[in-house]
Amino acid sequence: MSAESASAIQRNQVDLLDFVDWSGVECLNQSGTHSLPNALKQGYREDEGLVLESDADEQLLIYIPFNQVVKLHSIIIKGPEEEGPKTVKLFSNREHMGFSNVNDFPPSDTAVLSEDNLKGKPVILKYVKFQNVRSLTVFVEDNQSSSDITKVQKIVLCGTTSSVHLMRLSGDAIL
Amino acid sequence: MVLEATMICIDNSEWMRNGDYSPSRFQAQADAVNLICGAKTQSNPENTVGVLTMAGKGVRVLVTPTSDLGKILACMHGLEIGGEMNLAAGIQVAQLALKHRQNKKQQQRIIVFAGSPVKFDKKVLEMIGRKLKKNSVALDVVNFGEEDEAKTEKLEALVAAVNNNDSSHIVHVPPGPSALSDVLISTPIFTGDGEGGSGFAAAAAAAAAGGAGFEFGVDPNLDPELALALRVSMEEERARQEAAAKKAAEEAAKQEKGEQSTSQDVNMTDTAKAGTSESENKATDLTDDENALLQQALAMSMDDSSSNIATRDTDMPEAAGDDQDLALALQLSVQDSMKDESSPADMSKLLADQSFVSSILASLPGVDPNDPSVKDLLASMQNQSEHKKDEDKEPKEEDKK
Repeated sequence: MSAESASAIQRNQVDLLDFVDWSGVECLNQSGTHSLPNALKQGYREDEGLVLESDADEQLLIYIPFNQVVKLHSIIIKGPEEEGPKTVKLFSNREHMGFSNVNDFPPSDTAVLSEDNLKGKPVILKYVKFQNVRSLTVFVEDNQSSSDITKVQKIVLCGTTSSVHLMRLSGDAIL
Repeated sequence: MVLEATMICIDNSEWMRNGDYSPSRFQAQADAVNLICGAKTQSNPENTVGVLTMAGKGVRVLVTPTSDLGKILACMHGLEIGGEMNLAAGIQVAQLALKHRQNKKQQQRIIVFAGSPVKFDKKVLEMIGRKLKKNSVALDVVNFGEEDEAKTEKLEALVAAVNNNDSSHIVHVPPGPSALSDVLISTPIFTGDGEGGSGFAAAAAAAAAGGAGFEFGVDPNLDPELALALRVSMEEERARQEAAAKKAAEEAAKQEKGEQSTSQDVNMTDTAKAGTSESENKATDLTDDENALLQQALAMSMDDSSSNIATRDTDMPEAAGDDQDLALALQLSVQDSMKDESSPADMSKLLADQSFVSSILASLPGVDPNDPSVKDLLASMQNQSEHKKDEDKEPKEEDKK
């Protein structure tokens, strides 16, 4: 039963891009020319040449609200080998964080990206911590080579929404 | 019309006593601050502005970001001059005050008035600038007062470090005949990156002079909803006033009718209304001086001289509603007038048809066809207006009896 439900979760995973509330998406310390849509939006993120770059220093703070409650299962962060992100902290349901208070709260999860991750291997998150996510804050603390600029080529969020999960439950019950 | 929270950093150090800006550097600065506060709150009502002083005993926040202009102006009173300006601390405290603003959707901006020499290193200032940029805070610097190459260079470096897409500016105001505020009005500090700038600046300079030529004083580009609402309410008001004027004229006309037997105002084109008003008269005058007024009505439609019939239009529907026969009469008269534009002739023919008129009169409650006055009326339909006047007076006397 549990094995079945685990695979069921993976099967039902969708790209949460459709549930992003674009009017509230913010990114602190992004460069004017290389901004967040390059990494997040459907067409742009597939293009290897379009990257999100940091500006004054190597940290980035990305705030992504959703238009409904979602469950986050994994994320994929792609970037160049050298300037791609290394330590990434995720905060769920924290509005309007700033660089000054990122260290005030414990993150919901922390990921240290390896080369494989930067090539596209998904990072599985602590599912229990991301059960009812209204907004996600991604804090990129540093990058692989400790250079001044961090570059992110693509960000994909995978998970499910509550409605999908309910449908799955009802299917089980009938059986 | 950007939604913004602004912190203004005032220099109240000893250097501000100097009189090279009239009346004194400090006073010129205060005037400029007042003007900026007004400008910000006017360009968007949800904008907030706060003020802090950088010199004196230490950096002190006078008022946290608020949209209440009175509060801001009040705190500018009773400020003391003294001490040395602490630019770095001032900017950092301003940043903190902005971080804790109530409306997180507002953009953050700091405006610094730097009148005295800057004692910090260029490197320190650049770091501060980068930190501001990282937290997406814009910075405007007004370089006035002490003229010092090093100071200018440092401030330029600071603004360059903060600047992101031309959102931060530095303005140098040398001492001269024109006031500090006047010089600032034309700068991007006031015009806000060119968005709706010219319209606002003109308004500020002309002290709310009707929004620089836009209708209703609001630029439709800046605030389309407000402009639309203003336009709609203006039209509604106009329509209401016209209706009120119409009604007033009708009231006046009714008063007149009661006194005179026939009015001499000619309205040839409104013959349709002539017919209908006749029927309307029949209904409205039933309770009163039926015959007299009835006579007047018929006379009116007979004559080409009818009263200001146009003004009685609005009463007509109410009258028609009361009486089915009246409605029928209305319909007939309208039909008649529609067939022939110059229908007094037709109308007279219709009225000349005794049987028709009798039937109408019979159907009217309270009118007895056998009443002598009514008979007179019918007989006199072809007569002149003066003749009708006499007969009109007769029935009046009769009824008074």
